[in-house]
Amino acid sequence: MVSVINTVDTSHEDMIHDAQMDYYGTRLATCSSDRSVKIFDVRNGGQILIADLRGHEGPVWQVAWAHPMYGNVLASCSYDRKVIIWKEENGTWEKTHEHTGHDSSVNSVCWAPHDYGLILACGSSDGAISLLTYSGLGQWEVKKINSAHTIGCNAVSWAPAVVPGSLIDQPSGQKPNYIKKFASGGCDNLIKLWKEEEDGQWKEEQKLEAHSDWVRDVAWAPSIGLPTSTIASCSQDGRVFIWTCDDASGNAWSPKLLHKFNDVVWHVSWSITANILAVSGGDNKVTLWKESVDGQWVCISDVNKGQGSVSTSVTEGQQNEQ
Amino acid sequence: MEELDGEPTVTLIPGVNSQKKQMCFDWGPGEMLVCETSFNKKEKSDMMPGCPFIHIIRKNEDVYSQILRKLFNESHGIFVGLQRIEEELTGKSRKAQLVRVSKNYRSVIRACLEEMHQLAIAGKDPASDRQFSIQVSSLSAMELIWNLCEILFIEVAPAGPLLLHLLDWVQLHVCEVDSLSADVLGSENPSKHERFWNLPGNTQTLTELELKWQHWHEGCERHLQDGTFASSPHLESLCKIMLGDEAALLEQKELLSNWYHFLVTRLLYSHPTVKPMDLHFYAQSSLDLFLGGESSPEPLDNILMAAFEFDIHQVIKECSIALSNWWFVAHLTDLLDHCKLLQSHNLYFGSNMREFLLLEYASGLFAHHSLWQLGVDYFDYCPELGRVSLELHIERIPLSTEQKALKVLRVCEQRQMTEQVRSICKILAMKAVRNNRLGSALSWSIRAKDAAFATLVSDRFLRDYCERGCFSDLDLIDNLGPAMMLSDRLTFLGKYREFHRLYGEKRFVDAASLLLSLMTSQIAPRTFWMTLLTDALPLLEQKQVIFSAEQTYELMRCLEDLTSGRPVRGEPDAQQLQDDDVETTKVEMLRLALARNLARSIVKEGSLEGS
Repeated sequence: MVSVINTVDTSHEDMIHDAQMDYYGTRLATCSSDRSVKIFDVRNGGQILIADLRGHEGPVWQVAWAHPMYGNVLASCSYDRKVIIWKEENGTWEKTHEHTGHDSSVNSVCWAPHDYGLILACGSSDGAISLLTYSGLGQWEVKKINSAHTIGCNAVSWAPAVVPGSLIDQPSGQKPNYIKKFASGGCDNLIKLWKEEEDGQWKEEQKLEAHSDWVRDVAWAPSIGLPTSTIASCSQDGRVFIWTCDDASGNAWSPKLLHKFNDVVWHVSWSITANILAVSGGDNKVTLWKESVDGQWVCISDVNKGQGSVSTSVTEGQQNEQ
Repeated sequence: MEELDGEPTVTLIPGVNSQKKQMCFDWGPGEMLVCETSFNKKEKSDMMPGCPFIHIIRKNEDVYSQILRKLFNESHGIFVGLQRIEEELTGKSRKAQLVRVSKNYRSVIRACLEEMHQLAIAGKDPASDRQFSIQVSSLSAMELIWNLCEILFIEVAPAGPLLLHLLDWVQLHVCEVDSLSADVLGSENPSKHERFWNLPGNTQTLTELELKWQHWHEGCERHLQDGTFASSPHLESLCKIMLGDEAALLEQKELLSNWYHFLVTRLLYSHPTVKPMDLHFYAQSSLDLFLGGESSPEPLDNILMAAFEFDIHQVIKECSIALSNWWFVAHLTDLLDHCKLLQSHNLYFGSNMREFLLLEYASGLFAHHSLWQLGVDYFDYCPELGRVSLELHIERIPLSTEQKALKVLRVCEQRQMTEQVRSICKILAMKAVRNNRLGSALSWSIRAKDAAFATLVSDRFLRDYCERGCFSDLDLIDNLGPAMMLSDRLTFLGKYREFHRLYGEKRFVDAASLLLSLMTSQIAPRTFWMTLLTDALPLLEQKQVIFSAEQTYELMRCLEDLTSGRPVRGEPDAQQLQDDDVETTKVEMLRLALARNLARSIVKEGSLEGS
């Protein structure tokens, strides 16, 4: 049975665009059209406002928590073309960096796997993707991929870190050579896969074509130890695709249609063990999907916003959606 | 492919309902977040301001119940015990042992039930009373179902004993109704039967018993026909009941709390030697007769019916739907799997239903601040996805105290989950550095075998030393042992501290050799050489000659190297050294001291060598 265990009153004065739990589920970050980013401590069913961060000059679209090994670090992106990185120092939250390299709204931010260091990918309506890498002592290096998507980039999502060979016998002090990859979705209806080359430059590795309208979100599934890579994508065209690649070299991606919805699909996200995909659509619903043994994707639940105070029990019963 | 039934259920989130708003969703590590939003991004939201609420949703809220915790803890012990004795379960004793395990589970449920019942009637406040009552009926249903499954699937009672087991089952669960008559009805006749069955040391065969019973049954019928009881309608009714007349039984409906009580009573009087495979006929008709078309079967009824039909998968499926947590189906399915009753194919969501249910249950435990430890064992016994699920969940446990962190690390280390150990230690090490607890940071990075981080922390130590003139956490550095080899910088830190110790113990010659070797072996970073050379000063100015001529030459070479050397990024270059007055003075002093020492050492060595 699913039940509401806590309702946090964020006191945002305008529309909330994103809410993200931190790594441990103890803190909640929210951002809104009221230009603020707020952080709450939500342990034990409580809600304590820890920070009310001002700095953006327009609606804030997304927030993203960095891995806890870097401390408490949060990134936010906004219509005001800025990406701000906030950090908690000595118990107070402050702006630690501001990135203004875009000409248009920044729509999406996503932190890379912690194994790579502290790296943030940002996708913008100016079509570019920028990558901010923390190099120490308050310094951030920027790499920019111009014209990653024509018209605009709506979403970025990193591939999980693949452990190359054996990490155990690395010579002391040396960083292992990871192959860094991420996916982006844009207004050119495409999903693109990017790979970092030996010289540190980012190159477009693959183009995934299947959508007939703007790609609104991409989500690379967490790794569960299988050789398959999986990406979910959703679009203005109402479709959600699951892309899989069994090939070790990562070249042969094949899409499977999860479902065609009647409205724009805005958001897709994977549970932490990658066994459930949540899809948020324009039809006021969030649907949860699971893959069955024979490879079919099955809707297991509808989470719907509505009136009334009763939460009915959610079944793990199945329905085959064709 | 299994047929699917029913639409996925819709969960409504309470909140302001506006047709224009959409729902934003995110996964937390153990829960889900939803809030109202509008995805159509415009600069100005021209609709009404949004709802400021964010709802945190979770499944398996039961994890937080105090009493159920006992259930989780004790059943965990039974579960692990069962997995461990699997290899030893052989032959005839296997069934007996599995039945014992089943009874253990049931006694745990009953203990929990009893406790919760006490709380429910304690009368604290209506809301929690109601909550407890709901839990009580839920647990009660679980025990009822489990008991039936034990009789039918695990005990696999054959015709004869089957009915007796069912009688016990009904009495145990139904005769909690405090109705004296029900007791009478239930207990009077079994005693009559006991004379027939004589179970302990029963030497009669089923056929013999059947014949006896037939004989008795016919006798009763004759009495009824002959109107022996005509004068007393009550006695007549009783006789009809004993003959298993359904109508007569149904007349006493108020005494029969439910259809399965009716079923067993009916079987007792009409078909006491019922065979397991025939049960479902009587079950279905009993259900129909009892409900009498007035009401429809409830979920519990469907579950019991599926059990009577020996459809194990249906039982598990219905229970998964009807019950609020995974505890019941996970443990029951695991036990049935040990009884080799589950087919391993044609199941959704994983090739193995047992594993699927155990994974779901264990994942739920990880949402709890201490029950996660139980979850670890469940993951251990899931051969396919247990390990990777554990890896993903264990990293998300908030490391609120050092004790908890150590517990988590122990779990990872025991299972050679090196990535997770590294990640967790790194998080703790960085937290320690930020709080200036360098010793703690160092131990964590050593535990993580993280060379890069050890170097970073060692640098901090050395910097601290330069600023304050002393070391912190001496105990730790003194006892590094082989861990010192993790990184060059750490080795230097350890050796440098050793130098100080030797100096403190007045073992000057050893200290001097060590100091020199730190530079010549390149272990010491060049940025530190000035400090090392400065440390050499007191040794050079001792009364006795400590550095040999050879060593002095080496030192001089190092000094010259440093002062005239190619400027390397990050190091003070020759120009800087010249410009800085303090540095210049130091260099001058060193040169003087080295020269003096050289002279003295040459003389000393020269005079030792006899001619």
